[in-house]
Amino acid sequence: MPTPATSPRTPAPGLARRRRERRLLVARTAGAVLVALVVLAPLYWMVVVALSTRAELLGGQLRLVPRSLTLENFERVLTAFPVMTWFGNSVAIALVTSAITVVVNLLAGYAFAQLRFRGSSVVFLLALSTLMLPVQVIMVALFRLVTDLGIYGSYWAVILPSAASAFGIFLARQFILGIPRELVEAARIDGAGHLRVFLQVVLPLCRPLLAVLFFMALLQTWNDFAWPLIALRDNALFTLPIGLLYLQGQFGADYGGTMAFALLSVTPMVVLFLLFQRYFVQGFARSGIR
Amino acid sequence: MTSLAQAGAPAPAEPARRRPRRGRARDASPGESLAAYGFLAPNLVLLGLFVLLPLVWAVWISTQQTDGFGAGDFVGADNYARLVSDGQFWRAVVNTVLFTTLVTPTAMALGLGAAVLLDGALPGRGVIRSVLILPMAVSGVATALIGVLVFDENSGVLDGVLRALGLPDVAWQSGGAGAFASVVLVTLWWRVGFNMLIYLAALQGVGSHLHEAATLDGASAWQRFRYVTVPMVGPATFFLLVMNVIYSFQVFDIVFVMTGGGPQDATSVLVTYAYENGFVTRDQGYAAAIGVVLLLLTLAFTAVQWRTSRTRDLTE
Amino acid sequence: MDITRRRLLGAAGALALPAALGGCGGFSTSGGSASGGEGTVSFTTWGTDAEVAGLRSAISRFEEGSGATVALNVVPYEQMFSNIDAQIQAGNPPDVFRVPYYTFGSYAGAGQLLDLSPYLESSFADRFTPQAWAAVQNGGAPFGVPHHTDTSVILYNRAMLADAGITDVPATLEDAWTWDQLAEVATTLREAMPPERYPFAYNWQGNGVTRWLSWLFQADGRFLTEDLAGPAIDSDAGRAAVEFTQSFFAQGWVPPNDTITSSTYASDTWYAQTVAMVWAGAFLVPDAEATLDFEWGATFAPQQVRGGGDFGGNALVATAGASDPELVAAFLTSVTEEESMREFCVGASLLPTRADLVEQGIEFDVRPDLSPVFVGQASVVQPEDSGQVASPDMASIITVLQDQLEAAFVGGQDVETTVTGLSEGIAAAVA
Repeated sequence: MPTPATSPRTPAPGLARRRRERRLLVARTAGAVLVALVVLAPLYWMVVVALSTRAELLGGQLRLVPRSLTLENFERVLTAFPVMTWFGNSVAIALVTSAITVVVNLLAGYAFAQLRFRGSSVVFLLALSTLMLPVQVIMVALFRLVTDLGIYGSYWAVILPSAASAFGIFLARQFILGIPRELVEAARIDGAGHLRVFLQVVLPLCRPLLAVLFFMALLQTWNDFAWPLIALRDNALFTLPIGLLYLQGQFGADYGGTMAFALLSVTPMVVLFLLFQRYFVQGFARSGIR
Repeated sequence: MTSLAQAGAPAPAEPARRRPRRGRARDASPGESLAAYGFLAPNLVLLGLFVLLPLVWAVWISTQQTDGFGAGDFVGADNYARLVSDGQFWRAVVNTVLFTTLVTPTAMALGLGAAVLLDGALPGRGVIRSVLILPMAVSGVATALIGVLVFDENSGVLDGVLRALGLPDVAWQSGGAGAFASVVLVTLWWRVGFNMLIYLAALQGVGSHLHEAATLDGASAWQRFRYVTVPMVGPATFFLLVMNVIYSFQVFDIVFVMTGGGPQDATSVLVTYAYENGFVTRDQGYAAAIGVVLLLLTLAFTAVQWRTSRTRDLTE
Repeated sequence: MDITRRRLLGAAGALALPAALGGCGGFSTSGGSASGGEGTVSFTTWGTDAEVAGLRSAISRFEEGSGATVALNVVPYEQMFSNIDAQIQAGNPPDVFRVPYYTFGSYAGAGQLLDLSPYLESSFADRFTPQAWAAVQNGGAPFGVPHHTDTSVILYNRAMLADAGITDVPATLEDAWTWDQLAEVATTLREAMPPERYPFAYNWQGNGVTRWLSWLFQADGRFLTEDLAGPAIDSDAGRAAVEFTQSFFAQGWVPPNDTITSSTYASDTWYAQTVAMVWAGAFLVPDAEATLDFEWGATFAPQQVRGGGDFGGNALVATAGASDPELVAAFLTSVTEEESMREFCVGASLLPTRADLVEQGIEFDVRPDLSPVFVGQASVVQPEDSGQVASPDMASIITVLQDQLEAAFVGGQDVETTVTGLSEGIAAAVA
């Protein structure tokens, strides 16, 4: 509930009112903390399991507050699997995919937001409608395609189809719509070409958008598993989520090892996320979804 | 989705966004069109090659009786005719729709609630906000694995907690309703953060002066929420509605890992059913037909949404 | 048509991809074909560490002997076959891959595998047990080699049985519990145990549903006719098997989530001491030994009209388009030589398919005392049992089994409806 307490310019409140406000604040804080605890609980449990021995987990001896912690799950996972190689693969694929996605989506966003052309809405809708396609529908055809292109088994087999995402187009268009058209037109009158306008006028204003687009793409690519599993063939080129499945097949019901690996694969994204969340909110806020 | 920019018209939006849409196509020049398509080219090539082409291909496969290894005979609409009398298919349709109608409004309501809660001054606000969006960074597979860990009927932590509270165990795995609920709950855990993030961004556009004005007019907290906040975040609501529905129609990782569609198809959804047909029994023509139906459902829903939102724009 | 398409897209690909980035590792696009070059056998498998170690050693033995090389690629079991299928469709499968017996038929039946008869010596069949050789036949010809088998026996938690006063378990195959005796044991355990614990759990989760067939075989039933062309499950044996296994749930002998589609495997519940006994294969032994801190043993699976068990395990098969069939056949021959098979089975705790190894018996590295139980159990599998599982329609039959048994176990579907459903489903699957 939006409350007047949020506003610094609230008219001078009476004593009763101030008390009521304080009560409300306490209630809101309690509510927020409760929600946060509910969200945190499964993650906490994941960490506990990753740091516990298998015997403890199986014996039902795990306590909400563990009595002893061990790194043996991490050691076992790190020695049994080429985790660092997979990590590197994930990084390479995610970075290249995100870079491509951001560039092509920014370009498209600029066209849809600032240029007038025939077929604009049709193309826009068509591009957006591709979002509604589950990858399972086209997986077989896509596989034959990457094979015919001669890129099966290489990073490109993962990167190019993943980079073909329209999610960013929508955000980019909304964001660039928010850039005053006068700016663009002024630059045009000064004789700048569209590419120069894009690079010198629009791009510098797009930093929060870049953060959002890049990060969303990074997140999606980093966590994707259905397609990379089909498109990659060699163990040495696997990404972390495939590794996670691989490990599950190896250890069976080894929750400790699985959770340790899951933790390793999730941590980089969580850290990045926490570091950049401010830009994130900002980018979304300014992309006109309000 | 142009309406998104405009539905928030009463908001202090930038002038550029208020400009009527109609005036834009009028002065399209050939040069500008050329430039526009130049800018679009990389994206269109990628989408055309890696999405549209395989899609057409998939539609073609859906008219074939395949052996799963590439060879197939043209059978026209036979696969679609089979769908009509396939009880498991209808079960999957019902489950998909049920899942969507449960997850979408709940995720949005919880997201909006959390956003409103965190929009105002609050001790530890930044930390709590970070916690709430944390699940976004966790992969679907990892999320589902955590779900398995929590909802296991024999050794899961949740039933242990329920027991400790004196509540009865829930058959999260062996009961149809329990299994469905577990999938929905895990999905909510995973998705609410995104909803909150978008609403939080939207709320930043709601000026506090509107609330003050409403307060001065004697509006209660609920009235301010209902008549100021909710309309102000309308465009975000529309965006989230579409995003949540698309996501819900495509739910895969979580169901696949947590329940495998069981028990007794209680959690079988269209994508898992298509997967089962395409990659387990290798009936790929049939699987493609299911995929096409799924796509049509999604498109139909989006079209309806699109229409209602445009009408709303016109009337507001 | 196909060639033009491919050439066209290849050209487009060459244009679209910046060659400059093609330099390093995963960005290189040269790895388009899975088939090895000359003198190379490409081999795709999944496996535990112990299995892969055994395979590697067999491979180096082959490489030394033949001068050829084997390109081994180890992938996750999950979706190993969607990957193989996709490669077959795209026309570039590996030369050799590993496949469970119940999946073998769907590849062999679709003409995707290499008929090995021209490349094998006439006496080759004699090295295997009859039930193993039957498991790799399709239309009367061998389309693979039986690499190893595994079968389920009962693993029990000694203390939990003792607490219920059960101290004697069958020590020989002949003494294996009958269904009635198993029911007695389960009833005793049920009465002695707290409600959140259960007498046993059965390992029929997922594709393990084929292990339900052991009950059918024990009742001396079949699910397919002898020509594998029609259903044979609508029989007294079929009804008895459905009725008995369904009663596990009604009697509270198994945990409610010991269902077919459960994401919790039976062995997990036994590890967690939720159940006193579990049906499990030999592959579990090393992990159990390393993990469990309670005392446990193994006894034979039950018998009824006769003994019966699942013919688990995997075959090695060659794809129809293998670049050098002679070399591939030589590789498959080499991998199933006595030394290689023994090393593989002993290390990975799996059962051999060679008749001589079965006769001599083998001793697992871990818990060698249990080896006779597993080897003995495997011997009750009849060639006609394993031959049915090699049906080309097994993938669809598995789905039928899963759906109908789940309906019987969870949905309370009655025996008659279930057997009719199974029979009709299997008829449709093989049609």
